Amino acid sequence: MSIIRVENLSIRFRIYHDRSPSLKSYFANLFKRKSQTTYSEFSAVNEVSFTISAGERVGIIGRNGAGKSTLLKALCRVYEPSDGEIAVDGRIAPLLEIGAGFHPEFTGRENIYLNGAILGYTKQQLIEIESEVVAFAELEEFIDTPVKYYSTGMYMRLAFSLATSMHPDILVLDEIFAGGDAAFLAKAKSRMYAMIDNANIMVMVSHDHQLVTSLCNRVIWIDHGKVEGDGLPEEIVGRYLGGKDLG
Amino acid sequence: MKTKARTFIEEVHDSRYVLSQLVLQQLILRYRRTVLGYLWTLINPLLMMTVMALVFATLFKAELKTFAVFLFAGMIPWNFFSSVVTQSGSSFINNEALIKKIYLPKIIFPLSITFALLIDSVLSFLALSVIIMTIGGSLSWALIFIPISYLLLFFFALGVGLIMSVATVFFRDLQHVVLIAMQGLFFLTPILYRPDELMGNLVWFVRLNPVVPFIDLFRAPLYLASLPTSGVILESILISLSAMSLGLFVFLRQQRQIVFRL
Repeated sequence: MSIIRVENLSIRFRIYHDRSPSLKSYFANLFKRKSQTTYSEFSAVNEVSFTISAGERVGIIGRNGAGKSTLLKALCRVYEPSDGEIAVDGRIAPLLEIGAGFHPEFTGRENIYLNGAILGYTKQQLIEIESEVVAFAELEEFIDTPVKYYSTGMYMRLAFSLATSMHPDILVLDEIFAGGDAAFLAKAKSRMYAMIDNANIMVMVSHDHQLVTSLCNRVIWIDHGKVEGDGLPEEIVGRYLGGKDLG
Repeated sequence: MKTKARTFIEEVHDSRYVLSQLVLQQLILRYRRTVLGYLWTLINPLLMMTVMALVFATLFKAELKTFAVFLFAGMIPWNFFSSVVTQSGSSFINNEALIKKIYLPKIIFPLSITFALLIDSVLSFLALSVIIMTIGGSLSWALIFIPISYLLLFFFALGVGLIMSVATVFFRDLQHVVLIAMQGLFFLTPILYRPDELMGNLVWFVRLNPVVPFIDLFRAPLYLASLPTSGVILESILISLSAMSLGLFVFLRQQRQIVFRL
């Protein structure tokens, strides 16, 4: 059984007011007695706590810059907590951005292995899924062409097919992604849903409130890095949209 | 309760497939779509050293053949060391997009650079050895020491590379500073000249230069056809252990901050 436990999580970034400190100013400041702070801290995620248990499908909503993506990235270990703790039990799939780690000079096939390795597949797994990924992406003809010659749609199809061929315990999604023509989109959606169904826990960030209400059984509303609401999808989405209309 | 060091080692071990893919990526990319392909790894240092051997043998009025072997034995470890140090510096910066999207053990970025450069270095070493033999160099049993020389050099370069990779994230100026510093260090390392040919104030610098024993590790078997002296071996073991410990120390302390400062 998978579980995600987040306790008092804060993620703080430093914002430098003038510019990133240069070597010169670092050494200059070393010899100055008073330490002047040229930066201020910004909490993208501020003392957030929640627990997600097996079977939950959680949608995270909120305005742009509310800290949703930072929270997801923290779950995937990209950002280390500045304070608090995250405990994740289960194999987590980092699907924050598909195609991260694709190399334009590499062929489609080489990218399956390079990107697959980055996504955490073993060599054996990649050998097994290679032909299925190519077939699903409908790229049999172009698989040995460098991906820089691919159209945007072809590129998206390959990245999507590869990213969705694993079956993680915990699925973390930053917007439902899929590109390509109508036919591929339909195919991609059903693959995506199958993947969500197979996952033990799903956490997604989305601005598509209908999608969130239909896919999730719990919604967390984040505003200014804090949990503003946590509960049933209709209720929280309704409150979020209501509040938005007022202000 | 697992110790931190244990988890770190396990994590690196678990990511050996990503590591090998990243090494492969660097080796393939450098020469993709060039007519001669990977041969450039061999041709490039070869032409470079030929030019240097010709120029300096004339300048120093040395015998070309002996000087070529002398120079080659010094350039092999130097080229490896200096490329590792300069390229590690940008290893995190160049992979910023990836580091901000997917969690990977950070050490694989400088580590993959060091491995890729090691493969390059060994290959050009082999090519140059063949050429040295054909122009009349001599084989000696001392050559079996070369793998050990490489091992010690590898950890020394990796240690310095780790420090550079972390430091450059915090101080971007280092990318430019290091190029000039390596240029200067090259002349303070007895590669073009014999250590005993040096006079004046610079002698002290050369004596303190940590790269010197690693040059000797290669020069003794290749040029003098003898094993390095035990003093040199001991010194380089000490230096590479300290470089590696310091590198790991700096790296493990700062690795969590890297993503915030990219």
